[in-house]
Amino acid sequence: MFGYYLELAFRNLKRNPGLTALMIGAVALGIAVCVMTLTMYRAMSGNPIWWKNDVLYAVTMDFWDPEEDYFDSKPGLPPQQLTYNDALAVYASDIPKRKLIMHKAVGIVSVDGQQVKPERVLTRLTTKDFFAMFDVPFQYGGTWTDGADTGPEPVMVISRKINEQLFGGANSVGRHIRWNDNEFRIVGVRDNWMPLPTFYDVNNGSLEEPEDVYIPFGWNTALEIYSAGNTNGWKPEDIQTYQDFLNSENIWIQMWVELPDAQSHGRFKAFLDNYATQQKNAGRHPRKLNNRLTRPDQWLVDNEVVSNDNRVLVGLAFAFLAVCLLNTVGLLLAKFLNNAPVTGVRRALGASRRQIFLQHLVEVGVVSTIGAALGLALGAILLMGLRALYTTDPTDAAGTQALAHVDVTSVVTALALAFLATIAAGLYPAWRIGRIPPASYLKAQ
Amino acid sequence: MTAWNIRPIASALWRNRTGAMLVAFQIAIGLAVLVNAVYVVKQRVDKIGRPTGMDTANMIWVSSAGFAKDFDHDASWRQDLAAIRAIPGVKAASIISNIPLSGSGSSSGFQAKPGEATPDETVAGNTYLVDEQAIAALGVTLSSGRPFEPQEILPPIETFDSSPQAIVTKAFAKELFPDDLNPVGKSFYDGLGKPIAIVGIIEHMHGAWVGWDRLDNVVLFPRIDNGPGTIYLVRSEPGRRDGVMRDIEAKLGDSNPGRLLRWVRPMDYFINQSYLDDRNMAIFLVSVTGALLAITALGIFGLATFNVSTRIRQIGTRRAVGARRMDIVRHFLVENWMVTTAGVVAGCGGALAIGYWISVKYELPRLDLFYLVGGVLAIWVIGLAAALQPARRASTISPAVASRTV
Repeated sequence: MFGYYLELAFRNLKRNPGLTALMIGAVALGIAVCVMTLTMYRAMSGNPIWWKNDVLYAVTMDFWDPEEDYFDSKPGLPPQQLTYNDALAVYASDIPKRKLIMHKAVGIVSVDGQQVKPERVLTRLTTKDFFAMFDVPFQYGGTWTDGADTGPEPVMVISRKINEQLFGGANSVGRHIRWNDNEFRIVGVRDNWMPLPTFYDVNNGSLEEPEDVYIPFGWNTALEIYSAGNTNGWKPEDIQTYQDFLNSENIWIQMWVELPDAQSHGRFKAFLDNYATQQKNAGRHPRKLNNRLTRPDQWLVDNEVVSNDNRVLVGLAFAFLAVCLLNTVGLLLAKFLNNAPVTGVRRALGASRRQIFLQHLVEVGVVSTIGAALGLALGAILLMGLRALYTTDPTDAAGTQALAHVDVTSVVTALALAFLATIAAGLYPAWRIGRIPPASYLKAQ
Repeated sequence: MTAWNIRPIASALWRNRTGAMLVAFQIAIGLAVLVNAVYVVKQRVDKIGRPTGMDTANMIWVSSAGFAKDFDHDASWRQDLAAIRAIPGVKAASIISNIPLSGSGSSSGFQAKPGEATPDETVAGNTYLVDEQAIAALGVTLSSGRPFEPQEILPPIETFDSSPQAIVTKAFAKELFPDDLNPVGKSFYDGLGKPIAIVGIIEHMHGAWVGWDRLDNVVLFPRIDNGPGTIYLVRSEPGRRDGVMRDIEAKLGDSNPGRLLRWVRPMDYFINQSYLDDRNMAIFLVSVTGALLAITALGIFGLATFNVSTRIRQIGTRRAVGARRMDIVRHFLVENWMVTTAGVVAGCGGALAIGYWISVKYELPRLDLFYLVGGVLAIWVIGLAAALQPARRASTISPAVASRTV
C-alpha cells in the first residue's frame, strides 16, 4: 500500500511542477536558515567541557574598587581575573585535586639552525595541571612536572600546528626551541583541541583558537612578562618596576580549580573566605566578602559569551521557519483541495477517510524529505558564506576555524526538528481533505 | 451595495477562510520581522558610518616585534622611522602605542582637580603614547593649540605613567571642563594627582573600542612607546597608500635579523575587524528578512492563484452578466487587500512586542512608530504586487466559460 501511495504522491507532485517546486523550496529555505543559525548559536553557547561541569570551578574574588562595581550591567558579580598576589596565595592551597593559575602572552619562537622564519605565537603561561584539568589531548609526550612551575624549568608544550610548521610533524619531544630568544625544551605536543567557546579565558573573545605554546607560570617573574590579554586596574598606584606591577591591585590572572566532591568544595570555599577576611583585617578590602566558585556553564552565562545578536538571530530563524511552514501548509491545502474531485471519486469507490489521510500524508512526507535534503545542502552553502563573512584576513583564520568546526549533533538536531515540523504542518491539510464529503465533488464540474 | 463590493468579497473570503488565515498569519510575522529588522539595521549602519576624525583612507600600520636578546629598541625605532619617512609618498610617520578602532588599547581615569575623586568626577579616556608627527600622521584637525614639539617627546618607560603634557579631544575636554570652551594651557590630573597641561585640542577622534560610550575621549601623551614590540603609523599622500605599503615591506622586511616585521596593514583592516559583527548582523538581517518577505509574497501569490483557479466558472458567469475586466481585477485585489490588512493588524501587535524586547535587550530607545507606518505601507504594496498577476489572469477568462458545461 505504501508503495502505491508513494507512486500516487510522485504523480500528483509532477502534475503541478511550479507549485511543487515552490513548496519544496520554501521547506528547504526554512530548514537551511535554521541549520545555519542554530549551528552558530551552538558554537557560541555550548559548554565545551560539560562532562566535567560538576567538578571544575572558576575562582573569583571581589577586591575591586570599593566605590564601583566591576560590571555595570551585573552589579555584585566579581571581576573575572585575580591580582598576581591573590592568585599565588590561593594557589598555595592543597585542598583542590587540581588547580591552575594562568594568563596569555605573546612570544616569538624560532629554532636554531633551521631555515624556518621566526613565528609569533600566542602563549599561555600556566601551571602543570592545565592539560589534565581540561582533558587536553597530547600527540607526543605530556605535561611538565610540579617542580618546573616554580623553578622555573625551561620546558614547553607546543601545539600540533606549530610542531608541523617547525618540525614537519615529527616527534619533537626533547628538541630545543627558542621563545623570545630564551632556550626551552619541548616536553609535549598538544594534539588538535578546539573547545568552543574558549571557556577558560573569556577576556578577549571566545571564538579564538587556543594558544599554540604553553610554558610554566614561574617564567613571569624570571622574564618579566606582561599579559597579552586584559589587565584591569581601578586604584591609582605609582608603578615604576615589574615588581610594583606584581604587587599592584591590577587584575590579570585567571584561576580554575577541580574539586571532586561537596566536602572539598566546602573546605576550599572556607579557605577562600578565610584568606579574604585576613586581607580585609589587614586593611586592604573595604568591599563586601564576595568570593565565588563558578561552574563552566554558569561561567559562560555570567560572562555573556552568547551575544544578544545571536539570540535575535535564533528568534529570527524560527520566525522564518514558521513562515515557510505556514506557506507550505497553505500550498498543500490549495493543492489537495484542487485535487478534491479525484479524492471524491476515490472515496465514492470505497477508500476510507483513514486511507485518504495516509495517502496525503505520504505526499507530505515526500515534500518534507526532498525539502530537508535540499535544505541541508543549502545550509552547508550558507555556512560557507558565513565563514566568508567572518574572514577579513585569510592568513588569520582563528574565527573561521571556529565556524568550520561544525558539530554533527547540532546539524542533526536542527534537521530533525525542521523535518518533524514540516510533517506536523502537513497533518492539517491531510486531515482536512479526508473530511470532505465525496458527494459535493462528484456533482459539479 | 458600494461600487467596491466589499460585502460579497468578504463573504466569499469567509467561506474559504483557512488558506486566507494562513497567509494573513505569514503577513503578520513578516511585518513584525520587517519593522524590527529595518530598525536594528539602521542602528548598525549609523554606528559603522560614524566619522572617525582621522584620514583613514591613507593610513598604514606597521607592526615590528623584536625578539633577539641583543635587540636594541631605541636604535631600531629610530632607524625604522627614518627609513619610512624617506619613502616617497609618505606624508608623516609616528611611533604609537596602540591602534585606534582596533579593539585593543589602554584607558585611564582622569580628573579636573587634584585629590580624591568620586567615580562621577573621574573622566575616562583612551590613552596613546605618540611622537611629534602623530597629529599629522593621524590626519586629525586641531581646533586649538599646537602639536607636540620634537624636544617634548619623552623617552620610553617600562610601566603605565602619564606625562606632564597632553593633546586631548574636544569631547574629553568638555567632559572635564564643561564650562571652558578652550581649555588650552589648563591642567588636569591623573589618579595619582600628577598635573597634565593641555597643549592642543583635537576636533574629533575615535579611540580603541567601538562599543564603548567614551570612544570619543582620547588623550595623546608625548612619549616613545617601550619595546620590543613596536607599532608605527604611516600616512601616505592621497591615493599612494598601496605603493607605500609595498615599499615599507621591502625596506623593513629584512633590515634587522633581531626582529620580525609582523605585518603592514591599511587602516581599513582594523575598522572592518571592529565593525565585523555589526556589519554581519546587518547582512544577516537584510538577507533573512528579504527571503522571508519573498516567501510571504509567494504565499500571497499562491493563494490568489488558487482562488482564481477554483472560481473559473463563477468568474465567467460574472463576465457574462456584464462585469468588466476591471471589475474582476478589482475583486481579487480587494480580496487580497483584506487578507493583507488582517495580517497587518495582527502584525502591528507583534512588531511592537518584538520591538519592546529588542529595546530592552540592546538598551536602545523604543521602536519609532515611523518604522511601523513604513512597514505597513511596504507590506500593502508587496501584497498588491504579488496578487496582481493572478488577478489579471482572472480577468482574461472568457465569459463563454460560464455556458460551456451547463
